[in-house]
Amino acid sequence: MKPLTRLNRLLSRLPTHLAVVVMCIMWLIPTLGLFITSFRPREDVRTSGWWTVFLPREQVGQVEYETYCASCHGADGKALPQADLTNPDLIARYPRSNRLLAMLRKEINGRPHLVDPPLPENPRQAQEFLSPVLTYLQTISGGHVAGHRFTLRNYADALVGYKGTQDYLTDCQQGVSSTLAKFNCDASDLLNPEGMGRAFLNTVIVTVPSTILPILFAALAAYAFAWLDFKGRQWLFAILVGLQIVPLQMTLVPIARMYVRLGIADTFLGIWLFHTGFGLPYAIYLMRNFIGSLPREIFESAYLDGANHWTAFRRLALPLAAPAIASLGIFQFLWVWNDFLVAKIFLSTHPVLTVQVTNLIDPRGSNWHILTGAAFLSFIVPMIVFFAFQRYFVRGLLAGSVKG
Amino acid sequence: MTVPTIMRQGRWTPWFYLLPALVIMFVFIVYPTFNTVYLSFLDKTSTRPASAACVPDEPCWGIFENYRYALTNPEMVIALRNNALWLLLMVPGTVIVGLLFAVLADKVPYESVAKSIIFMPMAISFIGAGIIWRFVYYIETGGGEQIGLLNAILVALGREPVAFLSNPAINNFALMVVGVWLWAGFCMTILSAALKGLPAEVLEAARVDGASEWQVFWKVMLPMIMPTIVVVTTTMVINILKIFDIVFVMTGGNYGTEVIANRMFKLIVTDTGRSMAIAVLLIVLTIPIMVFNVRRFRREEAAR
Amino acid sequence: MKGLLAKLLVASAVIALLVAACAPATPTQAPPPKTEEAAPPATEAPATEAPATEAPATEAAPAQPDMCMGAQPGDELSVMYQWSGAEEEKINAIFKPLVDACGIKIVAESTRDAAVLDARVQSSPPDLLFWPTTAPLTLYTDKLVPLDTLGANADNYASFWIDLGSVDGKWLAVPVKADIKSIIWYSPVQFEAFGYEVPTTFEELDALVEKMVADGNVPWSMGFESGAATGWTGSDFIQDILLAQQGPEYVMGIISGDIPYNDAGVVAAYETYVKWAADPKYTVGGADGTLNTPFLEAIYKVFSDPPEAMMVKQSGFAGGEIVKEYPDLEYGTDFDFFAFPGAKGMQGGADFLMAFSDKPAAKAMVAYLTGEEGATTWAQVGFDLSPNKLAEGKYTDPQLAKKAEALANAAGFTPDLGDTIPAPFGEAEWKAIIEVVQGGDIATALEAAAAAQAEALGK
Repeated sequence: MKPLTRLNRLLSRLPTHLAVVVMCIMWLIPTLGLFITSFRPREDVRTSGWWTVFLPREQVGQVEYETYCASCHGADGKALPQADLTNPDLIARYPRSNRLLAMLRKEINGRPHLVDPPLPENPRQAQEFLSPVLTYLQTISGGHVAGHRFTLRNYADALVGYKGTQDYLTDCQQGVSSTLAKFNCDASDLLNPEGMGRAFLNTVIVTVPSTILPILFAALAAYAFAWLDFKGRQWLFAILVGLQIVPLQMTLVPIARMYVRLGIADTFLGIWLFHTGFGLPYAIYLMRNFIGSLPREIFESAYLDGANHWTAFRRLALPLAAPAIASLGIFQFLWVWNDFLVAKIFLSTHPVLTVQVTNLIDPRGSNWHILTGAAFLSFIVPMIVFFAFQRYFVRGLLAGSVKG
Repeated sequence: MTVPTIMRQGRWTPWFYLLPALVIMFVFIVYPTFNTVYLSFLDKTSTRPASAACVPDEPCWGIFENYRYALTNPEMVIALRNNALWLLLMVPGTVIVGLLFAVLADKVPYESVAKSIIFMPMAISFIGAGIIWRFVYYIETGGGEQIGLLNAILVALGREPVAFLSNPAINNFALMVVGVWLWAGFCMTILSAALKGLPAEVLEAARVDGASEWQVFWKVMLPMIMPTIVVVTTTMVINILKIFDIVFVMTGGNYGTEVIANRMFKLIVTDTGRSMAIAVLLIVLTIPIMVFNVRRFRREEAAR
Repeated sequence: MKGLLAKLLVASAVIALLVAACAPATPTQAPPPKTEEAAPPATEAPATEAPATEAPATEAAPAQPDMCMGAQPGDELSVMYQWSGAEEEKINAIFKPLVDACGIKIVAESTRDAAVLDARVQSSPPDLLFWPTTAPLTLYTDKLVPLDTLGANADNYASFWIDLGSVDGKWLAVPVKADIKSIIWYSPVQFEAFGYEVPTTFEELDALVEKMVADGNVPWSMGFESGAATGWTGSDFIQDILLAQQGPEYVMGIISGDIPYNDAGVVAAYETYVKWAADPKYTVGGADGTLNTPFLEAIYKVFSDPPEAMMVKQSGFAGGEIVKEYPDLEYGTDFDFFAFPGAKGMQGGADFLMAFSDKPAAKAMVAYLTGEEGATTWAQVGFDLSPNKLAEGKYTDPQLAKKAEALANAAGFTPDLGDTIPAPFGEAEWKAIIEVVQGGDIATALEAAAAAQAEALGK
């Protein structure tokens, strides 16, 4: 009886399981596609979907070759010594099927070419047959080697911000000078201003102080709101609640102009201050709720023991608020790391990751291989932080789910 | 929350703690906000009143000229319409998906893993999300293979590929899907916590009384977590009013996908006055939520 | 609570207004979050350093050659331009013969910021200015020195160039560098396979397009997608159609605002364009293809195997992009270009030389660049084209030589509309193009663009 009930229960739960699993897959697939694409060679990315990495590769053009050419040139292409189709120099003369077609239309040694079966008269249709044949010939002559299915070169390109002919590593090896003007082909390229490596560094420089500063000031203010008495405490805090949702768009231009006047436009200092200002209302709100909910007896007995407020703040409030600080830290860290608008406006000459990624969305297109790699580089740190400290992040969210 | 009377303090002590934060907030939030309001009444040079931009024989709202632009310019009308559309569709969409998943995940043993997956997009930037989805929506219009997932599926099913991002009939919805993908995890987390906080006895009692799971959900759970739903909804409303990055990175506001914040960003250099009027419009739209939040906070404080 | 909030808001409003009113009005703009213009050719990072090109101190040069116009060794010549990187190297190579001959010392400042230029002009103007628009002409008319007094040779330039650089009959600016955009790229071997001839008039182009369609070939490959600048390739195309159907004066009228953007001529150009850009028989992928294809992909499609289309209208930089993408293709066989058939003037970008000083070194440079030696050096260095007639036939790069020929045959020159018109008008123009390609009504779309034009240009 028992196994049957279990089966029954499983069956009745099946729709639930199905729904949960399907949703999870739907949520994962877009990111998975990006991830896989970032490891595929450019040509593959351009010509086939990322899911094809799970399918076997097909040999292009073999069928067409056997139909049109194998009767004279042989199955291996070597039957005619004067026209050895495995000779790369010969094949290199025909980079496109239209050149091949032009040659084939002429008579060779007084004999017309390609008569059995005849190539379609219409050049367009003829090219449709010849194009795969050419690809096949390029493959057997070794001029067109099918490379590995996965590569790390996209990441090299993204890190140094390379927009050259082939890829950064290959061009460096071959010394293609036309596209290497801004590169040294050594580790210093990681700091190239157009690369994700430099952007990564910039992001770290922006994020760390922008996370610590607001927490520091917020802790002080939160202590006052929680354990000090002053006139207007209630309404000042109410305003703070309101300030949390002031759209930052409201402040961009006045602050930008203020920075120009102060001479800190486009500096890290400017963006630290901005993030501090905008992080504060929420940080104070969260910390005050947390510090305020600590048992009052602890503070009373400390005070009886002769401690003053400064000691109470440093020795009691701060250590006890560690979980709140952790939540807030993660929250602010992710917020600043992922911010785009503020960095775009206040730090345009030191692009952070998000800004650099949008710079790499080459309006010219066809660089998904680099873009996916770059996007993934920008995810790594927040992903790690997120999964390592998910608990604190969730707690921070729950403590006050409003954020400007 | 009252301060223990025993902890006496100097008159200026609180201000020592408060001052750094208050000064920074004043300089970076309060002052710029009012300065922005002021700038919104000036023209693009920020030196003359907004009415200087008026053209004879054209409608003019005098000093409110920038607001005329913000409310009547065809591009702005599209932006306002789109923001309304986002609010109407995406806020409920995100909350419903989040709630649905919270309820469903609650019933499976691998709940935490499943929730992490839905929640994960919260860790990545909107810009990154925009790229992920640009790739999903990518359309190859020539003879090549579809490398975007959705169009590959469509073609495999024998349908024509669809230009998800440039077709005005669907592109706004395509963008909203990205929004739901990003934010459903946020709603789910908060709603899930609320669901778990429900007293088990109440739910048990309802079940013992013979209520179906469906009824338990509608008649018991939903009313009890309603306050949380309201909080989540207000937060989403704010997020959506300010929606910017997704549109910026995916369509740049082209093809009728313009939104208020993107419009504001585009004009920030070329026409500061108008840009500021749009920013003011944005904050005016958030004021009801602001008032609502402050009131809720006061109520909660009073109940403490 | 409500009352309190209100009071507070009012109080802080007063404070803020006071602060705002007292704050000194700074002319400095907020740091621009520049929407990157997808400038098709080299997009170098703006550099503001001032690399001084050291000239080898000519020791004891007894007599200075005539070309120095009395400039002495060691004389400093301050120049300002926007070029940086590889472009800057080229201009230095062009300066070199004069620098070597006269021993003058060039002090260069490279900036793209018009505000920087303005500040310098107000305080200590550079001796010579190279600028990609003629805007300084109207801004600094009184400070500029007429070029004929500096020994510039007007005979070496087509009359439309002189007109472009003149204000109130005074010749103040001469183009030193030009790049033409009225170009169509194609594959000669592919044309040959189908027996197509390169068209020479707009009617021939139209007929060729129809013939291609009849043959079942797709004539055009178009691609708008260019991020925030989406639409510029359409704008370039329409400008070329306008140049063919109406002529350069008409385009200049649109730029100045004298001709409204919904004029019958513009409508006609849009009608031609839409026929080509929105139909899958005429362009790869029809309207969806035109809108969603990134502009570089549009170039590749003409040279892929088998080609998806026969022609792509794109500026000179496309040649470099083709080689980059397909290194095995040969110029002249696999890819080539022809000037937009029937265009009565060329569309493009030009850099103008203006002088704020009549010191000998400045005279020497003006005379050099407008004379034969400068023109020859310019062509040999291959810094795009020199509008100087004497540069003709001196180009070593075959692509440049061909472009130079097209420019020499042109009856006029109009700057790229998108680079010239004010941003709101430009944005409205792109919007109109996108709308029309998506099947919108031409009259309605152009009406909105014309309104933006009127507002932006105050006409």
